[in-house]
Amino acid sequence: MKKLTALFLSLALLLTLAACGPEGKAADVVRYGMSNAWDTLMPYNSPSGSNYTRIVCDKIYDRLAYVHADGSLDPRGAASWESADDGMAVVFHLDEKAAFHDGTAVTAEHWADTIALMTNPDCPALGRSVFNVLAGTDDNGAAIQGEALGAEAVDEYTLKLTFKTPTTPEDFLLDRNREFYVLPTHLLDGTAPSEVMDLELWEAPVGSGPLKFVEEIPGSQLTLQANPDYHLGRPGFDTLVITVMDKSNLLPSLMAGDLDYYAFGGNLSVESAETARKGGIEVLEGTVPNSFYELMLNNQTISSSAIRRAIDLALDKDALCLHTAQGLGEPTATDLTPGTEYTSSLTWNRDVEGAKALLAEGGYDGSTYTLACTSNRSGLAALMQQQLAEADITVTIETVDSATLFSGMADGKYDMAIASHTPGALPLWFTESRFSEGNNIFHVSDLSPYTALIAQIKATSGGAERQALVDQLQELLAQERPFIPLWFGRTLHAQSPTVDNIDYPSSSFSNENVWEWTLK
Amino acid sequence: MECHAYLPRSPRARFRRDRRAMACLIILVLELLLVFLLPPLLGLEPNISDMEAGFWASPSQEHWLGTDGEGRDLLARLLCGGQVSLLIGLSAAAISAALGVPLGLLAGYRRGAWEFWIMRLADIVQSFPSIVLVLCLVALTGPSALNIVLVLGLLGWTGIARLVYGNTLTVRDQEYIVAVRALGASRSLILRRNVLPNVISPVWCSIPLRAGRAILSESSLSFLGVGIRTPQASWGSLIKAAADLTVLTGRPWAWLPPAACIILTVLCLAGIGDGLRDALDTRNRRMPDR
Amino acid sequence: MGRYIRRRLVTAIPVFFGITLLVFLMVNLAPGTITDLMGEGASSEADRAALEAALGLDQPLPIRYVQWLAGLFRGQLGQSFFYDRPVSRLIAQRVGPSLLLTGSGVVLAVAIALPLGILAAWKPRSVWDRLASVLSLISYSVPGFFLCLAGIALFAVTLGWLPARGMYTAGSFTSLADLLRHLILPAGVVCLSSLGELVKQTRAACLEALGQDYIVTARAKGLTEGAVMVRHAFRGSLVPVLTTILSHIPHILGGSVVVEQIFGWPGMGSLLFSGISQRDYPVVMGVTVVIALAVLLTNLLLDLVYGLADPRVRYGKG
Repeated sequence: MKKLTALFLSLALLLTLAACGPEGKAADVVRYGMSNAWDTLMPYNSPSGSNYTRIVCDKIYDRLAYVHADGSLDPRGAASWESADDGMAVVFHLDEKAAFHDGTAVTAEHWADTIALMTNPDCPALGRSVFNVLAGTDDNGAAIQGEALGAEAVDEYTLKLTFKTPTTPEDFLLDRNREFYVLPTHLLDGTAPSEVMDLELWEAPVGSGPLKFVEEIPGSQLTLQANPDYHLGRPGFDTLVITVMDKSNLLPSLMAGDLDYYAFGGNLSVESAETARKGGIEVLEGTVPNSFYELMLNNQTISSSAIRRAIDLALDKDALCLHTAQGLGEPTATDLTPGTEYTSSLTWNRDVEGAKALLAEGGYDGSTYTLACTSNRSGLAALMQQQLAEADITVTIETVDSATLFSGMADGKYDMAIASHTPGALPLWFTESRFSEGNNIFHVSDLSPYTALIAQIKATSGGAERQALVDQLQELLAQERPFIPLWFGRTLHAQSPTVDNIDYPSSSFSNENVWEWTLK
Repeated sequence: MECHAYLPRSPRARFRRDRRAMACLIILVLELLLVFLLPPLLGLEPNISDMEAGFWASPSQEHWLGTDGEGRDLLARLLCGGQVSLLIGLSAAAISAALGVPLGLLAGYRRGAWEFWIMRLADIVQSFPSIVLVLCLVALTGPSALNIVLVLGLLGWTGIARLVYGNTLTVRDQEYIVAVRALGASRSLILRRNVLPNVISPVWCSIPLRAGRAILSESSLSFLGVGIRTPQASWGSLIKAAADLTVLTGRPWAWLPPAACIILTVLCLAGIGDGLRDALDTRNRRMPDR
Repeated sequence: MGRYIRRRLVTAIPVFFGITLLVFLMVNLAPGTITDLMGEGASSEADRAALEAALGLDQPLPIRYVQWLAGLFRGQLGQSFFYDRPVSRLIAQRVGPSLLLTGSGVVLAVAIALPLGILAAWKPRSVWDRLASVLSLISYSVPGFFLCLAGIALFAVTLGWLPARGMYTAGSFTSLADLLRHLILPAGVVCLSSLGELVKQTRAACLEALGQDYIVTARAKGLTEGAVMVRHAFRGSLVPVLTTILSHIPHILGGSVVVEQIFGWPGMGSLLFSGISQRDYPVVMGVTVVIALAVLLTNLLLDLVYGLADPRVRYGKG
């Protein structure tokens, strides 16, 4: 009995000791949370191709530029750039101070070799299609034999990218900067392109970014160390620990002091923001929309455009936006991001009677549609279900994970699905990828009207002419309604007041200015 | 082994005298009645948003427990969620018993290959932590109340089968069974008439416990977001709201009632199980304290 | 003895194959694959086909099963779709934290359950006995996830005594105190959820032991009650209690899956959970099969040890 009592007491003692122990935080650690895991640390071999992987690779590898939330650009890997060859090419003057974590200087050769290697058809790169804007590549981004690849090192620190169509440096960087990283190609010498992805290097990668790799527990935690020689400056902390954690844990962790920053905001609700502020947490409101909600439609099973427009009319986007974004958003009739160069005069309104009339016109037979959503949007789906029911459209809800949602839409299993995206600044940020043969997730029977307009918009350099084409495309979309734009939302972002200088909004372009972060 | 012969009172009478078990039974029956009768009586709509009351309204005359994040009446959702949770628990337990009893009987009575394969199947299922298998299966087959019932029911048979199997093994070679067999009675008749009544009593005690476990499993699944399908509610999915710190600290009325309902129901089921065990068990009467 | 071992192994082999087949079919017959995750970006058909070929998804099912099984025998669980590295290495990184969490939860539970169960059996109807029954009722009826939430809200947010999540403050081991602070809440929940059954079993085993002949003899010899309890009743009940603990391992492991997920503990449970939501078949298969085989192996060893210790077992059951 004595032994047991002793054991008991010592255990209790140990626990109290642990509980009262020193505030374990080492002064120079930034603890960084995010809701989903990155998959790999090899940026061109990411099966998910998600923003989570991008924002992690952004720390280890360097990119050409730093893109601000409003679309303005700052130098990063490249110190400056200019258009060349009548707009067909862009010349980048690389920052000569940039160096890999092993000390090797980053040269234009590294950039050109990276692109040559990743577009090499023998190299099993997964994200290759990001290169398909470059001359000498096919639609999938694979290099075409016998054609000159549009990426060459002019001299040691000058990189020239040549495109298939005239492209301004700004358009290119806004669209693709998040996908262009420089790899340590000097460490790949002698590796066959087909074996590059199997290298152990990618499990302890060497990049030229502001942070160095230290240690990883895939799917759970990544420890990074400040790169003291980063050419834009040394980060104001020693270690950054990235941890995957559920969104519901965000606020408790911030308030318990276990977390400094949460990537991509974590959609703090307005009320949680109150709780957070009371708990001494900094809450920032985004100025630029960072989410775009759409209702994807299956144009094959809902084949009448009248019915699709009826669904649009039956939805009360104000209520939906109020529910999910708690008023921090703007209901929209188009996919054009508010505050960007191109606008649309189209408006939306709810009209249940009009919806019913359109349903009759479209010959709606009362059939039940399946609406797919992820579990965190089930409340939103339920609201939609009710609103549609008021117009006599019956809907059942399937709560699935996002993988099943997209596969189900692609396979035509669902009639509609709720999705959200990080909006882009370009007029085609959404439509170009959605209306292509390879990715016809809306099951539009004839894509040609869309693709024709999209090609025209791409070919037009700007101004009123381009705006007219954009208007034309939006009118076509409004007429056909292949998908329903819901709203552009801003989110509340919570971070601990322990870290200074965070340019949080720019994370919408999957880059963060970690080299400027300082601990208070 | 026939309990009636040795004891002055029937198990039913013994159960009735068990005050704790009776209290549990009454609470459970009351709960079932409330959950199924109140919504139609009060005209409660669990899936209609009251846009006037707004999202997350506090309790009021109109909404006794307030509204949820979608503006739906929480009392209505609590009651209808209760229907789902209770139905899932009870029917999963029923499926488990319906599977476990015949399988256990077959394994114990026919032995040989039957015994080997049925018990190996039980070994296979029992090698998995049940929540792991349930989580994978429900997530992969698509979450819905029906799938949860099926998965929980189809995986829950092993415990019951083992109980029945063990008892059948001891019963099958008893003299009266051997005698009936010698008289030429068919196997199914023996199993139904002579074996089953002698092995069934522990099953009655374990059914309420299984139902309790199934309710707990369902609530875990719904909490983890792989449970029932929206807009349907269950007690577990209602507690999910409490994962939000603001709800947890600021709106106890949203999650306290479903949590209390789960705990109360599971406790009552356990109490009924204990009561049944005591009432049906001829050898060990109640523990001195209970 | 040789025959007994052989017979026991013969029963284990079909179970082994049953486990692998169940895991394989369960995961492979489900809809939705990793390639659909790419649908969100601007990926092309060709990217998709390349990915499917690279992942081996274009092979027919039976071939994939045999390949997977062959790999399993060599200790290879395939390549994770999502993380693009061997599943065995992913799991190896997670085993330690999982063992630490479940282990300390179980040790804590045993440390509380044993004395409490003995006290409850020794002095029926005492405060201890009441406490024991209240504890086992709580542990049986309160859902684990609810305990997690309550723990976080109370100890991490309101009182600020303990961290709300994770395993280390600075990402890696700095001090034992830091680890323990992070361990207390999740291990406490694991402990509390398995406590009830253990207390109940200890108490029952002790009560049974108290009725045995040798206890009566010991009492007759004039030993004090305390000596009878500790020396005889406790010892006699040790084996059934240990059996309960071991037979509870699957249950405890299952409970810690939920706990790991809520506390962001980098163990097998959170790996499994992310595997499920990412449709990462090899990871889901790997984790479930490793857990199930661990349980199978524990049971096998336990049976063999019993068989060695007790001849009745050896000849008694099939």
